[in-house]
Amino acid sequence: MMQNFRLAMAWVHTWFGLLLGFVLIVVFFFGSLSVFDREIDRWAIPETRFEPQPMPSFDEILRPAFESMQPTEESVAAMRGRVDGPMPAHFDTPIRWGAYTTHRDPVLGLFAGYQVPNAKNPDELVWGNRTIDPRSGDALPDDRLKIGSRFFYPLHYSLNLHWMDLGYWIVGLAALVMLVALVTGVIMHRKLFRELFTFRPGKSKQRSLLDLHNLTGVVALPFHFMFAFTGLVIFAGIYFPVTHTQLEPLHELHEVLDAEETGLPHERAGKPAAMASVDAMVREAQRRWAERDMAGEVGFLAVQYVDDANGYVSVYRAGTDRIALTGEGIHFKASTGEVLREDPPPSVVERVDEFLTGLHLQHFRHWMLRWLYVFGGLMGCVCLATGFLFFVEKRKRQHAKRGESGARVVDALAVTTVTGMLVATLAMLVANRLLPDHLPGRGDWEQYSFWGAWLLAMAHAFLRTAPVARARLAPAWREQCLAVAVMAVTAVLLNWVTTGDHLLRTLRDGYWPVAGVDLFMLTGAVIALLAARRLGLRRRPLPVALTDEEAAHA
Amino acid sequence: MASLTVSRFHLVSRVAAAVLGGYLFVWGAMALGVAGLFALGMSFHDAEHLCAMLAFLVYLVVFLWSFAAPDLRRVWLILAGGGALMSVLASLIQHALI
Repeated sequence: MMQNFRLAMAWVHTWFGLLLGFVLIVVFFFGSLSVFDREIDRWAIPETRFEPQPMPSFDEILRPAFESMQPTEESVAAMRGRVDGPMPAHFDTPIRWGAYTTHRDPVLGLFAGYQVPNAKNPDELVWGNRTIDPRSGDALPDDRLKIGSRFFYPLHYSLNLHWMDLGYWIVGLAALVMLVALVTGVIMHRKLFRELFTFRPGKSKQRSLLDLHNLTGVVALPFHFMFAFTGLVIFAGIYFPVTHTQLEPLHELHEVLDAEETGLPHERAGKPAAMASVDAMVREAQRRWAERDMAGEVGFLAVQYVDDANGYVSVYRAGTDRIALTGEGIHFKASTGEVLREDPPPSVVERVDEFLTGLHLQHFRHWMLRWLYVFGGLMGCVCLATGFLFFVEKRKRQHAKRGESGARVVDALAVTTVTGMLVATLAMLVANRLLPDHLPGRGDWEQYSFWGAWLLAMAHAFLRTAPVARARLAPAWREQCLAVAVMAVTAVLLNWVTTGDHLLRTLRDGYWPVAGVDLFMLTGAVIALLAARRLGLRRRPLPVALTDEEAAHA
Repeated sequence: MASLTVSRFHLVSRVAAAVLGGYLFVWGAMALGVAGLFALGMSFHDAEHLCAMLAFLVYLVVFLWSFAAPDLRRVWLILAGGGALMSVLASLIQHALI
């Protein structure tokens, strides 16, 4: 299409990278935060600031908790149209109970699925969930938003945009474009190896920006590639639902064969049967894992067909000791406790798949690797941000001369997605500490403050980038950097005031979830202040100094 | 800028070929891969997972190729036509197995 291959690839890199880059930077940033999602939950829900707990006794703690559960109003409301006749006031037939935890969770998440009488599709269930303190079984207040694991984390892969799963698709396209941008970026730069070690901060702004863009892109290239790629593979079923549409008949054929092979019941018998001790089943599962030299913590415990003669209990291992996301599930007959099936060792393909999935989802216990993930993700953010800035710097004088607004719009969007995103994140944490404890819909208000602050930051960005149209620096950058610094310090102070957990105390007690979040915000505040200072020093336009190489990028 | 040398329609068509044509092609490849490997005796889940992993690498390659290839009509023909052809083959294999 264009004069030559290299120019075509440069075009793809520039325009796809710019357009989807605004999505990618959100994905990278909230992905980085999600590495410590459980820790952010602790910061946001002070009642849960205690040590991580193992899976508690089913017989004593979990069973009574499950028995007192009911489906959520939303789930019942969503089901209403798919039932012949009225909905019952109380759901008496639980089909599935599940409890899930990780080595970083002090609280335990439970879910329960219930049969719906007269449902048009009898396999469709209504669902309830609850978070408990595993030490006592007491339920935590329902309306506490887990900001880390239920807001930042889903934001990372769905933008929290659930209408028609649109968020997933946008993120999916962005991830594909990330792969494309990495390949085209390498093609554009012939002297790749030399650029790996090149950073000239003293040169012209445009030159140093490009150096930093190349450096952060190339040094972390395997990281960026692996994360974009494994992210796509994890959601392959959403992006290419081949086996649930075109090949559904083949899938069903396989399901029937599979059910025969595993020997696990695939429906209720309809005959009630009391459950044997699940704790004894867990002990047996742990004994079997120990025989294979595997760490024995339970990650996921599920009961299928509760209190039915066909009921069975599945016990899965928390994979804290390896990268691959595995479960080594062992399944017991619920009424007797005899072992029905032990998951067979994975095939080669499954092992590769588990490795890739585990690499992305990191259930392993390795704190240094976790921090490397954070830095890798933030390096991706730097790569994207410098990409935007380079785009603006290269064009703003030309656009100013021609009276076009392209560079200004891109600069405003860059401000919105770089500093504006930080403003939104911090606004949410500040709101989390300021909103009254028993405010109805508290979690919703936290989300409104996030989106509201982001909209404000965007409005500010568009208003305060006017000088870019005259080829000057936008004041929005400096002003939002200052806002970030002030808000980060405010959040840390509010945490102190409202919970008494100031840094001296959390550091002395070695309570890293809260100390870590506080320190991370303070570090961010210092960086934002330094950036604001630097921006204050260079508020005048710089002389144009294009080298041949830079011109070649055009 | 090089893009000034091509018409707007051509550009939109290129982008659509890469994104949508690429999608059709990968869909067909994945369907054919799963059905074909299953027919050859691989377990269904293995075939599904293997094809899912390869799918995105194929997508990456055809996406880039859509912009690099000189003849746009050929790009559309191979991506959309090839994707449809592979999908039909996958359905035929499925039909034969059930």
